[in-house]
Amino acid sequence: MKNFYDFKVDNIIGLSSKEKEFRNKELDLFDKNGFPNKREEAWKFTDLNTILSKNFTNITNDYISLKEKKFELIKEFDHNYLFVLDGKLVSNEFKFEDKNKVSIKEYDYEKQTFVRNQNSLNLLNNALASGGYSLEISKNYKFRKPLVVYNHFSESIKEQIISYKNSLILNENSEIKILNYTDTNSKNNFFVNSFDCFKLKKDSSLKNIFINKNRCNCYFHNYQKSDLEHNTTLDNYILSTGLKFNKMDIEINLNEEHAKSSVFSALSLSSDEHQEIKSSLNHNSKNCQSYQKIKNVLNDQSRGVYQGKIFVKQEAQKTDAYQLSKALLLNDNAEFDAKPELEIYADDVKCSHGSTSGSIDLDSIHYLKSRGIPEKKAYQMLINGFLSEILEKLPEDNLKKFLIEKLGR
Amino acid sequence: MLNIKNLEAKVDNKHILNGLNLDIKPGEVHAIMGPNGSGKSTLANVLSGKNGYETKGEIKYNGENLSELSTEERAQKGIFLAFQYPLEIPGVNTNVFLRTSLNSVRKARGEKELDTLNFLKIVKEKSSELGIDEKFLSRQLNVGFSGGEKKKNEILQMKILQPKLSILDETDSGLDIDALRIVADGVNSYKNKENAFLIITHYQRLLDYIKPDFIHVLSKGKIVKTGNADLGVELEKTGYANFI
Repeated sequence: MKNFYDFKVDNIIGLSSKEKEFRNKELDLFDKNGFPNKREEAWKFTDLNTILSKNFTNITNDYISLKEKKFELIKEFDHNYLFVLDGKLVSNEFKFEDKNKVSIKEYDYEKQTFVRNQNSLNLLNNALASGGYSLEISKNYKFRKPLVVYNHFSESIKEQIISYKNSLILNENSEIKILNYTDTNSKNNFFVNSFDCFKLKKDSSLKNIFINKNRCNCYFHNYQKSDLEHNTTLDNYILSTGLKFNKMDIEINLNEEHAKSSVFSALSLSSDEHQEIKSSLNHNSKNCQSYQKIKNVLNDQSRGVYQGKIFVKQEAQKTDAYQLSKALLLNDNAEFDAKPELEIYADDVKCSHGSTSGSIDLDSIHYLKSRGIPEKKAYQMLINGFLSEILEKLPEDNLKKFLIEKLGR
Repeated sequence: MLNIKNLEAKVDNKHILNGLNLDIKPGEVHAIMGPNGSGKSTLANVLSGKNGYETKGEIKYNGENLSELSTEERAQKGIFLAFQYPLEIPGVNTNVFLRTSLNSVRKARGEKELDTLNFLKIVKEKSSELGIDEKFLSRQLNVGFSGGEKKKNEILQMKILQPKLSILDETDSGLDIDALRIVADGVNSYKNKENAFLIITHYQRLLDYIKPDFIHVLSKGKIVKTGNADLGVELEKTGYANFI
């Protein structure tokens, strides 16, 4: 069978011979596996290989991005920004911050972090990544305003893979809120395979929000690898909706005592959207906490998947780990798959998991209608009510207001 | 205002209402009493337009054929059902619900929708009449409310929406004496020449506070006896046995 992709390390400009060698090895490893399918545990519910082969004829990695592009800033709240075009850092502004405390650079592939695991998309990222950014925040510096990362993708990208890596280092006692704002309304099919590496030093805090501006026809895969030191907090909020395919693979390592992490998700999916969250909350030290709450509303033929793992190392006593997923199915053709995974080697821990899915309560709809509320609005109220538990947890009033309006609630 | 002729209702092939006739004029208060399973709540549900009932016969509301109207249209045209078991709606703020409801009704009537400020003025006034703490209104709709609080909330909705025909389905059940009096006062203060009430109840208790013009005894899906307020007192003494 003819492959539906053709990737070449040589398409990437300016690589040293050492780097080329490394990348070619990674590409060889990828070629042995190909795109993931259901045989791999991390892709238990999704045969990506088949999905891509049906929707692409020949994916290549030779897209050359234009340098200039006008973009529209969010007006609803004050923020700093990075503008990233097709994975490349184009401009940045930190006008609300002390610029000496922030370092922003293009990602340095000589010092890159890479992951080799079951997920072959990580090998592909290692082989093909270019662009991306490195952001570092100085010790004791707390951002005054959120940072918005405008991830824009050009409309001319078609049948291409865009790969990049980003890195974020939060030094001791620093703090930031980041809104990852994907902005593309391309009708073309393309694939974005990105890798984020977060290092949280002692007492630092990161809130990381994902949302997209428009509906689009592209395929996204993001691997996030986070390492948390003593008394750090990392909260992820996944609100993306309207994407043809989106998989967030989140690895969070709670490496030192009192590290805390949450994964919150409020997704409202329709048409043939497919969204997956795969998480690994690794409790590697004692007295750490993790909390995961995933809420999906699924309409039409949409599909939601949640594979949430809690791993507790033998020395990670007094672990407190929680995960719950709830799905509201609005159509018989929609599907939600959940697979909780708990791997526990310590004996003094509190771990809980749960998953429910159901349809909308018609008696509640009747109640709202009996108060004069039109049926469509009644449904919307119940759906919003279902997701509100997550949306209420969003940080910063102006940002929260913007996000809730963006989601049409 | 409401004219029911020969109403039959089936649910899952089981006959519940078997030829019920009832006429309600503006300004009247009607009470329907009857033993368990006689069809009282089914009548309330059918009038509110709840799905799942197969009906025959005729229900006219101000000359309009009620079966042709959706639940929300009935509400917009002034039919209000105070539920026997008000539903808990997680994640929906009570104030937001009340405002959405009132504005939906106002919009359908061709009136201007109310802004937050004007809406809050109305809610404040009506809720204080019913002794409802404002804090309740910022909570999720009926979630964690006590039985009495839920019933008071139903009456609050009635007073805000100002319906023409109010159907109270066992609003007195689960209420203590004080709450019962507050609810009854709420109803009495809303009573006027233009609007009518249909009060469904098991007991005379509520009718001590809200004086009905007519009492109907419902048995096996039919009205078997109609009388004035004295009938309730008699029923309280003798029970339903004489009528069924």
